[in-house]
Amino acid sequence: MHYSRPNSVAEAVNLLGGNTGNAFILAGGSDLLVRMKGGFVEPSLIVDIKAIAELRQIRATDKGFWIGAAVTCAELGESEMLRAAWPGVVEAANLIGSKQVQGRCTIAGNLCNASPAADSVPALVAAGARVHIVGPNGSRVTAVEDVPLSPGKTSLAPGEMVAAIELDERPAHASDAYIRFIPRTEMDIAVASAGINLTLDADGTIKTARVALGAVAPTVLRVDEAAEALVGTKLETAALERLAETCSAAARPIDDKRGTIAYRKSVVGVLAKRTAELAYKRARANS
Amino acid sequence: MNINAKTQIQEFRSVGTRPVRQDGVDKVTGRARYGADYNMPGQLVGLVLRSPHAHARIKSIDTSAAEALKGVKAVITAADLPDHADGDEGLLEILDNCMARTKARYDGHAVAAVAAIDEATARKALGLIRVDYEVLPHVTDVDEALKSTANVVHEHATSRVDPEQNVPLNVHATEEFGHGDIEAGFAKSDLIVERSFKAEQSHQGYIEPHACVASVNADGTGDLWVTTQGHFSYRIVCAQLLGMDVSKLRVTSSEIGGGFGGKTHVWAEPVALALSRKAGRPVKLTMSREEVFRSTGPTSPASIDVKIGVSNEGVITSAYAHLRYGCGPYSGVWGMLGAMTAFACYDIENVKTIGIDVRINRPKTAAYRAPSAPVAAFAVESVLDEIAQKLDMDPLELRFRNAVKNGSRSSYGPTFGTIGLVEVLEAVKSHPQLNVPLAANQGRGIACGYWFNIGGQTCTTLNIGVDGTATLTIGTVDVGGSRSSMSLVAAEELGIDYDKVKTVIGDTATLGHNDTTEGSRGTFSSSMATINAVKQAIGVLRERAAKMWEIPVDDVVWEKGCARAVGEEHGNLPTLSLAEIAKEAPNTGGPIAGHSEIVAEGVGVSFGAHICDVEVDPETGATKILRYLVVQDAGRAIHPAYVEGQYQGGAVQGIGWALNEEYVYGADGRLQNAGFLDYRIPVCSDLPMIDTVIVEVPNPGHPYGVRGVGETPIVPPLAAVANAISRATGVRMTHVPMSPPRVLAALENAKVT
Amino acid sequence: MVDVNVWGSLSTCTDNQKVIQIEATTIRGLLRELVEKYPGAAPWVKRGISVSIDGEIIRDDWSKTLPDDAEIYLIPRMTSG
Ligand SMILES: Cc1cc2nc3c(=O)[nH]c(=O)nc-3n(C[C@H](O)[C@H](O)[C@H](O)COP(=O)(O)OP(=O)(O)OC[C@H]3O[C@@H](n4cnc5c(N)ncnc54)[C@H](O)[C@@H]3O)c2cc1C
Repeated sequence: MHYSRPNSVAEAVNLLGGNTGNAFILAGGSDLLVRMKGGFVEPSLIVDIKAIAELRQIRATDKGFWIGAAVTCAELGESEMLRAAWPGVVEAANLIGSKQVQGRCTIAGNLCNASPAADSVPALVAAGARVHIVGPNGSRVTAVEDVPLSPGKTSLAPGEMVAAIELDERPAHASDAYIRFIPRTEMDIAVASAGINLTLDADGTIKTARVALGAVAPTVLRVDEAAEALVGTKLETAALERLAETCSAAARPIDDKRGTIAYRKSVVGVLAKRTAELAYKRARANS
Repeated sequence: MNINAKTQIQEFRSVGTRPVRQDGVDKVTGRARYGADYNMPGQLVGLVLRSPHAHARIKSIDTSAAEALKGVKAVITAADLPDHADGDEGLLEILDNCMARTKARYDGHAVAAVAAIDEATARKALGLIRVDYEVLPHVTDVDEALKSTANVVHEHATSRVDPEQNVPLNVHATEEFGHGDIEAGFAKSDLIVERSFKAEQSHQGYIEPHACVASVNADGTGDLWVTTQGHFSYRIVCAQLLGMDVSKLRVTSSEIGGGFGGKTHVWAEPVALALSRKAGRPVKLTMSREEVFRSTGPTSPASIDVKIGVSNEGVITSAYAHLRYGCGPYSGVWGMLGAMTAFACYDIENVKTIGIDVRINRPKTAAYRAPSAPVAAFAVESVLDEIAQKLDMDPLELRFRNAVKNGSRSSYGPTFGTIGLVEVLEAVKSHPQLNVPLAANQGRGIACGYWFNIGGQTCTTLNIGVDGTATLTIGTVDVGGSRSSMSLVAAEELGIDYDKVKTVIGDTATLGHNDTTEGSRGTFSSSMATINAVKQAIGVLRERAAKMWEIPVDDVVWEKGCARAVGEEHGNLPTLSLAEIAKEAPNTGGPIAGHSEIVAEGVGVSFGAHICDVEVDPETGATKILRYLVVQDAGRAIHPAYVEGQYQGGAVQGIGWALNEEYVYGADGRLQNAGFLDYRIPVCSDLPMIDTVIVEVPNPGHPYGVRGVGETPIVPPLAAVANAISRATGVRMTHVPMSPPRVLAALENAKVT
Repeated sequence: MVDVNVWGSLSTCTDNQKVIQIEATTIRGLLRELVEKYPGAAPWVKRGISVSIDGEIIRDDWSKTLPDDAEIYLIPRMTSG
């Protein structure tokens, strides 16, 4: 196994492109090292991206925010501008693991690990985040929901890596939220989760909505029908019930040790309601 | 915290204080050496190959490719662990569990092991071992295993046969206790509640995995460094299994990162010794977390029926329980313990309990803190709670009306001596938690619990140093701060300060046999032996002082850490301090020491009562513990902070089991959650601070009144939490753990029916 | 002669009597006589029996004497966590 710690994106792309074996990016390592220790993967090359200064930054751009792929979730939580603009994304990132895990882990790693239960991913999908990808053939930008293909599989081509995740700037009367259900209070994995992003009129009517669900299908689920159930409402009881129903109906979970199909379908609706209420409250407060 | 001392029979100087623990600095600085923190020159890495099948005949094992791999120094199978049991069935079972002989009897059962120069090589070698299995049908559920159609888990040792169909059953043993006539008692009662309960299997969840370094020499001597609750017992069992002389095997207990009963049995230690014997080099064997879950001893899964009859006044007229405990593929005593403890808190005229051990294709059940009692209490205390609801009676009052007291006949036979359940209930009654108002979706549960203590063989030595400080060597492994407690006891008896006494755990060559730290016996027994050893040393100190003064020893008394001459003739001599006498030791007869070798009898028992306040989320089924109170009789708390630690730790383990902890088996008989991610022990943020009250009703069988306290605290929580959830939701919970999906399903069910 | 109470399952070896009379002055004598009189009890003794004398449970010390009129109970010898 070869370990390298490049100082630039170009160098990293070079290393990845020149490798014919089994290459892995190492960000926080909170998934990769666990899998290596368990004997599930045996990398021939590890490219550690934490020494690439550019990828360690959170920047405000003219369109919004640029979050380097090596920024830790703890650093996201310390960023006041992100917390104000995208509280749902930040709270999702800050739910991952524990204090210790957050000091290491990244949202890019969370996305590229392609777990259906990844916490930051539904929040990013609801936020309409874009993924900045670099590779042997240059760079491209894609929607977050296009990255995970199935548990453990992404749409990244060989030699490609995520350089950053981009978020829009935040208009007035808009906000987001993320809520997951776990049997414990931390150090656990979502049984079901919901991320919701809302934009309101000045009078509180919902103009646009994005709803994404986690852990209830092989990949994150964007539920446009649930979003439609919210648009034009002021989140009255009927709208909330409609939201819960559509989310429960859209969920395609499995029965496993973490929960039954019936339980997940039921709880994901409950979570969607609670998340919508929180996002709505935040959006109203954001004038 | 507060201490509720009933009778202050003795004045203490050190006992009852809360000094800093003697092993604390090493532990917080990371210097304490646990099982895996020891190394020997030339040491190899041992790894174990385990069965992926719940039940399979081992047709053959081909180890040749593994043996041929460069760096592999030994490969062993059951053939390398010949049967030295000499007809002792229990010993043969232990051997079979350490390394499957003819059949793999559970997912994770060891079938072969390797020792190699490093872990990568050892892992590779495991992959080269070819095992030819004939997969057999399996059974992992207790009630399924009891059916006469169930496949038989263990062919030889099956001790019960279905009388009608004459087929062997998976019943290892049936035990019965009680007195009176339960049918007559039920006929007299005004209200009868009858219910069935189920408890899933839980693991002790100690943070430190099993680990050891074994070294066996060509001359038949050996050393074992190991994390264990009882190095003396490990020595006997390991020597017997390997055919070694007991005295030639020296076992040293490392610091221990939790055991709770799980480290009272040997698992991989005999395998490590056998590997070392074959390789001719020391072998370190450390289990992974997955191995700990799959291949060591969790507690029993259980299934229980309870029927209780009461008068309108809330007096129990009759009580019956049928308790079925899984014991893994081997023998067990778990049904017996459940049957003995189920109704032990109550004075009942007519009572009968039947406890059954059921063989299943799961790991061998091991003791887990008050084994069997928590689920028995879950069933009994739940039915009592329901009775209180139906009688519209305060559940605490119901307990008062039936609680055992001094002179009550216990449900398992003997009459109780001095016990403290009523005092515990009184302390509960006056606790402010009972007055905290509850909001919607909140509930308060109460439950009582009981556990025995055991005494057993104990041996200690006190050595006085040249400067008058003292080293106390004890042989009961310190699992919860007992070294500090023993220093307090020695300081008390000697009349010197706590920080002048250092307590260490001796290895098996240092002291005579000590029984394992189990059965809440460590502090009880070792303090008794320590008091004896100090008294003997004081006798020697008086003799030495008499020599120094050249007066008769009868004229010397020991007071406040000094020798004092008494009587008209010498009474005016200045006292001699311990340090002064110690300094003169070379010229007064040599080293000064005291020893004690005893069987500690005179055990007390310990009762507790817990109050739990919860809030249940009716939409997700999630339970939040709002407040939790443990009240328990300690007899006498030597180091109150560690008594509280035991209360809190037991409560937390019980809460974890009540809410989330369970072994999940697939239809294939394989364990699906062999890790802390999906086997959910509580994390700090799940819990409020656990409040405690120490009640002290001294045990007349101990010089200081000590009762063992380690196990009782895990007995009431399943029931306390279940009663709280049942009251919060209006739905009676009968299946632990009460995980969110299970609670939500119960709520949905109740809506439908 | 002392009255000895036996627990439910042991009574299957004592002709279903819950109280038996044994000629003994110590625990050692009691266990010896028990097996002599009721050979079926031998495996139980081998597995371990504790003796409660007036409520004090004696697990190991077989030299303990049995006072006249004492309440004597046999119970299984316990191990635990
Ligand atoms: C104790 C513990 C608790 C956890 N709790 C949670 C939780 O609550 N919620 C949750 O969602 N997850 C949890 N996780 C999983 C993990 O922490 C997260 O998925 C985390 O976000 C992964 O980030 P990382 O930077 O550590 O990824 P890494 O382990 O470094 O990488 C993960 C995967 O993504 C690839 N990768 C990383 N960066 C890039 C990149 N820039 N481009 C392309 N591929 C890349 C790696 O090669 C690897 O395959 C937990 C893990 C542990 C150990």
